[in-house]
Amino acid sequence: MIMFELDQRIAEQLTEVALNSAVQVRCGNSNAFMVTASTMVPLMQMFEMGGVYISGSRSAIEMIEAFETIGIDVSHIQFIDLVSSGVLGGTDVDRPNIHFVDSPIMLESILLRTLYLLRTTANERNFIILDSVNSLAIYNEDRMLAEYLHTFINTFRQREVLSVIINVPDQTSPLVLSNLDLYCTDLIDRGQVVIH
Amino acid sequence: MQPAAVYTRDRCVTGIHGLDEILRGGIPYGSTVLASGTCGSGKTTVAMEFLVRGALAGEACAHFTATEPSVKLLENIRQFAFFDMNMVDTGLINVFDMDVLYSWLGLEKSSFDLDDVHALIKAIVDIVNTIGVTRLVIDSVTTLCYKIKSEQLIRDFLFTLGKKLSTLGCTTILVSEITSATENAHWSSFGVEEAIADGIIVMGDVERMGHLLRFLQVVKMRGTSHSRAKHAIELTPIGVMLTPMLKWGAQSDKQGRWGA
Repeated sequence: MIMFELDQRIAEQLTEVALNSAVQVRCGNSNAFMVTASTMVPLMQMFEMGGVYISGSRSAIEMIEAFETIGIDVSHIQFIDLVSSGVLGGTDVDRPNIHFVDSPIMLESILLRTLYLLRTTANERNFIILDSVNSLAIYNEDRMLAEYLHTFINTFRQREVLSVIINVPDQTSPLVLSNLDLYCTDLIDRGQVVIH
Repeated sequence: MQPAAVYTRDRCVTGIHGLDEILRGGIPYGSTVLASGTCGSGKTTVAMEFLVRGALAGEACAHFTATEPSVKLLENIRQFAFFDMNMVDTGLINVFDMDVLYSWLGLEKSSFDLDDVHALIKAIVDIVNTIGVTRLVIDSVTTLCYKIKSEQLIRDFLFTLGKKLSTLGCTTILVSEITSATENAHWSSFGVEEAIADGIIVMGDVERMGHLLRFLQVVKMRGTSHSRAKHAIELTPIGVMLTPMLKWGAQSDKQGRWGA
């Protein structure tokens, strides 16, 4: 197990957040995993939440192994992997908590799969982590991504599910970023300096 | 002055997640609904869930299968977490092979005339009446109508069948196979089914950068105001799930979604 220091200020900030909130988490290229882990660990351990992790930046197995390396058990978290179906042999993993969607272009399928997993979970309080806006932006036009984020956030707010949306702001288009600013109720900013 | 009371028809609650919301409460009782779709679009699954949800609510349901043997059909329904084989054993779900029915009626022929069509209607209506069926699926009406050579006779068959089933309080889904679900397509194979049906639910695929997304759209449903938007669907072990399709992604790429 590797010693890993979490950003405790993120945990403090999360204590202020309501269950039906949408939290925009800004990170940089170099601190993305630290910020993600610092957000997810308190949700699981302090607030005893379950949830769904939408893994668009890296394959789900890679994310799970990264969490395990720092001693965090994520076996009760469901992972939706948007990466591995694009790699032949990528879906050949034996983990019951990994679910695959063919491509990040299938935005509605991602939403439906998340809703399906939430309907089948026994947890009373849940979060959704979308990792990340930037990985979806590779495949989807700005206007469609903006529409999707609007639908995504409202869908989970209505169901009292906390949504956490990770993005690297200096690599996010102004349209998508301004929409995120508008829809999200909270901001955790560990991103790089943004100059527009 | 008080506003006039709004009359609403009683509904057959499909139990399909999202569909009842689209239909503002369900299918008006006794309707004949065409479930039209391209191959692999999920029409058989939607129709089967309609029956299983009915059986779960204690309703007697019947399925006439013309496209696959009943044994194979039942194997496919087992994918539903909420399906129980007891539903079949206790007579809540009744599956009939059309080939067997044709054989009983002496209709093992390539084409049906007026008498044959009326014999078929009588047989289906008798079964519905005897069992007390309130939910019926014919899968597919296209395969059945291939044996009826004239458009007029197809119209007569569907109109008479629909009228008699409605009188018995039976809500019916007629599965129809179409080759395209795009804007200019017919909603049925022969072009006459869509005019006679009380409702039309279209299913198909939207192609997005080489990937197919299933969609469902209620084009018509007499007796209820309903959404006419395209909805994306997923077939899951807990049943069909729907969500409104993204407006910027509701058309296939070749139809110029990218602003061509």
